[in-house]
Amino acid sequence: MENTDIIAAIATPTGRGGIGVVRVSGKNLQTLAQRIIGYVPQARHATLSKFLDKNGCAIDQGIVLYFPSPHSYTGEDVLELQGHGGPAVMNLLLSCCISAGARLAQPGEFTLRAFLNSKLDLAQAESVADIIEASTTAAARCAMRSLQGEFSAAIHMLVQVLTNLRMVVEAVLDFPEEETGFFQEADVYSQLKTIQARLECVRLSARQGSLLREGMHVVLVGQPNVGKSTLMNRLVGQDVSIVTEIPGTTRDAIRQAIEIEGIPLYVIDTAGLHETDDAVEKIGIARTRSTIEKADLVLLVMDSRLDGVAPMDRIILDSLPAELPVIHVHNKIDLLDEFSRVTKKEDRMEIYLSAKTGVGMELLRTKLLEVVGWQSTSGEEGIFMARHRHLLALTEAGAHLDNATRLAERASQLELLAEELRLAQRSLSSITGEFSADDLLGRIFSSFCIGK
Amino acid sequence: MIFSENFDVIVVGGGHAGTEAALAAARMGQKTLLLSHNIETLGQMSCNPSIGGIGKGHLVKEVDALGGAMAAAADEAGIQFRILNSSKGPAVRATRAQADRVLYRQAIRRRLENQPNLWLFQQAVDDLMLDGESITGVVTQLGLKFSARAVVLTAGTFLAGLAHVGLASFQAGRAGDPPSMSLALRLREMQLPAGRLKTGTPPRIDGRSIDYSAMMEQSSDTPLPVFSFLGNAAQHPRQMPCWITHTNVSTHEIIHGGLDRSPLFSGVIEGVGPRYCPSIEDKVVRFSTKESHQIFLEPEGLTTHEVYPNGISTSLPFDIQIKLVRSIKGLEKAHITRPGYAIEYDYFDPRGLKNSLETKAIRGLFFAGQVNGTTGYEEAAAQGLLAGINAALKTQDRDAWCPRRDEAYLGVLVDDLITRGVTEPYRMFTSRAEYRLQLREDNADLRLTEIGHRLGVVDDARWAAFDAKQQAVVHEQNRLHAVWFGPSTSSNSLPETDALRVLGKTIERDCSLHELLRRPDISYANLMTLPGAGKGVIDPLVAEQVEIQAKYQGYIKRQKDEIARNAHYEATPLPQDLDYTTLGGLSSEAQQKLNQHKPETAGQAARISGITPATISLLLVHAKRGFFSQKKKKVNESGDTAR
Repeated sequence: MENTDIIAAIATPTGRGGIGVVRVSGKNLQTLAQRIIGYVPQARHATLSKFLDKNGCAIDQGIVLYFPSPHSYTGEDVLELQGHGGPAVMNLLLSCCISAGARLAQPGEFTLRAFLNSKLDLAQAESVADIIEASTTAAARCAMRSLQGEFSAAIHMLVQVLTNLRMVVEAVLDFPEEETGFFQEADVYSQLKTIQARLECVRLSARQGSLLREGMHVVLVGQPNVGKSTLMNRLVGQDVSIVTEIPGTTRDAIRQAIEIEGIPLYVIDTAGLHETDDAVEKIGIARTRSTIEKADLVLLVMDSRLDGVAPMDRIILDSLPAELPVIHVHNKIDLLDEFSRVTKKEDRMEIYLSAKTGVGMELLRTKLLEVVGWQSTSGEEGIFMARHRHLLALTEAGAHLDNATRLAERASQLELLAEELRLAQRSLSSITGEFSADDLLGRIFSSFCIGK
Repeated sequence: MIFSENFDVIVVGGGHAGTEAALAAARMGQKTLLLSHNIETLGQMSCNPSIGGIGKGHLVKEVDALGGAMAAAADEAGIQFRILNSSKGPAVRATRAQADRVLYRQAIRRRLENQPNLWLFQQAVDDLMLDGESITGVVTQLGLKFSARAVVLTAGTFLAGLAHVGLASFQAGRAGDPPSMSLALRLREMQLPAGRLKTGTPPRIDGRSIDYSAMMEQSSDTPLPVFSFLGNAAQHPRQMPCWITHTNVSTHEIIHGGLDRSPLFSGVIEGVGPRYCPSIEDKVVRFSTKESHQIFLEPEGLTTHEVYPNGISTSLPFDIQIKLVRSIKGLEKAHITRPGYAIEYDYFDPRGLKNSLETKAIRGLFFAGQVNGTTGYEEAAAQGLLAGINAALKTQDRDAWCPRRDEAYLGVLVDDLITRGVTEPYRMFTSRAEYRLQLREDNADLRLTEIGHRLGVVDDARWAAFDAKQQAVVHEQNRLHAVWFGPSTSSNSLPETDALRVLGKTIERDCSLHELLRRPDISYANLMTLPGAGKGVIDPLVAEQVEIQAKYQGYIKRQKDEIARNAHYEATPLPQDLDYTTLGGLSSEAQQKLNQHKPETAGQAARISGITPATISLLLVHAKRGFFSQKKKKVNESGDTAR
């Protein structure tokens, strides 16, 4: 049961608190430490150090802890890099570890290694299986989220063109006596170029379309004067909307970028959605509807003094996309002398708070992140790691495609090109699922008439 | 009656699997009996008269590297030799020979008759003798009882074989041979999971009725390729060409006209046929836009006029067969000597086998060849060899052996069979091997002969030849590392004209010959023309090995790293008696699949479709936990309460 490779992952929940930890485990971490911080740190001492990228430039500064084997959590050498907790920095730091020779850990893999190296006792070990199971499920859920929309469409297109090229190349290798017709050497190069362009396209959409990059979009909906603007001000921490007692004061959809625990988040305050003859207000209402289309989450703000969802709000809710998560915010509990709390009604989150006094705002912040799957609830792998996996897989696949193109340019032996294509597809399989030799043969037999 | 002699190993069946199994067990010193229903047909090529091809040639070389007979017999019987894929790289390069059926059979028969420790006996086997869950021997048609500690069953397509020509069907093992009905029945009674597969052959044609003038000729390659590592081209008999012709639109119309009487399309045939070797009616229906299909006319031998038209395997009614054959250019006056037919037969789900090819259900009973759902002589021979080796090892009380996926196509073949099962007759393709670049024909001996020697299947002569080759390779590699050239200013510089001629440019820093050989466009032969490069080796096989190993060094290293990463999975055994539904944390799908397969190692489990890396992690945890509980028990017994 020898694992020799080095694994790395972000060990702290994304964006939680000011400090984030990247943990690295494996045999002989001296070389890696040398590359990340420039020296081998003293064992079991907290040392302030710069974290370096592969060009030797500092990307952050923080505390390094080094636990040589066997006295560590996993029983292997463990290096803990404590940096500034924002996702961008953590992401960069993790990338540095990976380019320095580590690979991204599987869900639950640190615990697994600790167990396999006899660092956990029997009682703790009982729960290892559960941890792996839970974190895998969470990872799968996050991967699903990460795979939605544009990114998904782009990657499937990529896999399709790659599979088609592999199909032709492998058919030529395994069935040389068939009347080929389906293969022109010159064509391989142009097909490779197409695949590389597709990959670039996927990378682009992985960046553009991702929650990570764009942050999440939260739309505030509710009747006039239920306190949406106050709520937003509370979230943002500064006055951006005009707060008055006159209904309909907020006339425009305002997109305000804020950060909750280091995570970019766009709150869209809306013109109250209500029937109006005012021309300016009508424009505002139209804009609100179009922002809702693109949202990740809707906050329905209500006055907790009023009983249940107002008929007008019901109409609005029914008009929203069904899969969009909605949190019901019951505002103004200060006027009822109630406690802040979270309840769940029919799978729907209900939060009781007061935007004016700030009571319950922390609950809202946490739940916001949770509902969109941004942040894990129990140390599970979040969408952040899922996305990181995808980007890594794309980079790997890209490197193999570059090799393949070089081989095609040199018109070298086809079996080497085939190997690079196979490796490229294998890299992508972590996103798209396994594509076995049998699957490939199946495609060949259904596309070409093979067989003497 | 009980036969007077007791055997270590009994092999049932004398096809390509059976003969290799019997020879291997006997080579290992075990008293071996080969039982066949007909000694005259030992080593019979029942289908096309050819050995090797892509993926298959690789298997033949591996069988040879382990001392098997197939390659040597092909060298003695081959009447047309070719190297396929010669320009596409050494890993996908493959040897193929058209063989004279009679010469091939004779070559095999001679080896069987002269093999020490091997007994031949002609009797069909009707039953197996069991003691609980262990095999003890077999019972033949006449009621003769033969006892042995291990039995290798290689029944080919004979188990409940049913041949079809048009809507007529008859029971047969293959055309002209009776099927094994009682044995099939007996095996079905044993509740071994079985299924039904189908394969087919084309009609055979009298060569005197063929007009070759309109066809394309395909001759042997020069220099003549050789199959066995110990063989040479002088062993080959006279060479004959193959011929290529095509079907046409009117052929396809004739086929369409007969589909209503096709057992394939009318639902009479239940077994699943191979997608890569479809019948001509299948091709015409599935690829209806293709107006023409290629046919290879392959000579069946030097002493017969019969020709095998490869590409028109069919089970259409005979009147259609005649018409379709005669619609083809050059075959207008063809006389069919034997009708084509399809055959359905029983196979056993190979997921019921260990990687030694021993059945999990019955100790000492091994299955090899087509009964495991494979097709092809080479696939059968390779399995037969492995089953023979393991049957012998079993009776020697030694550990079983199977090459890993990165060691041999044989390893890929067996691993695919036992972890994934089959849905159609399984044939080897190079794309099945993820470590393809290191599983080459040229290095089959380097991969396997040493292991074969340890196992006892490789004799001294082969070992000596191999050892000499290997030493020559290492010696030359060391020499290439030791010869250095420097830039033009240095004392060991190359004349500029030579550098430009061989390397295309001058040398800018110190380079060994070996480094230069690694460059993609520099051949070994060319490199040896450099002044100061020394003499180089003369043996082309040694030179080839040195060159390929140098050029592929980077790729091979990457694959080796990957193999090392996965090695611990292969080395983690899983209990065979475990009920996976009792393991917490596994999905019910995983539990069901693991219970069905009962994988022997975590590595095998990982290759079962639908088993995720998370499941494997869980299995490792459970494996370790089992170890813990044992350890804890021991501690408690000794009265020590360490925890």
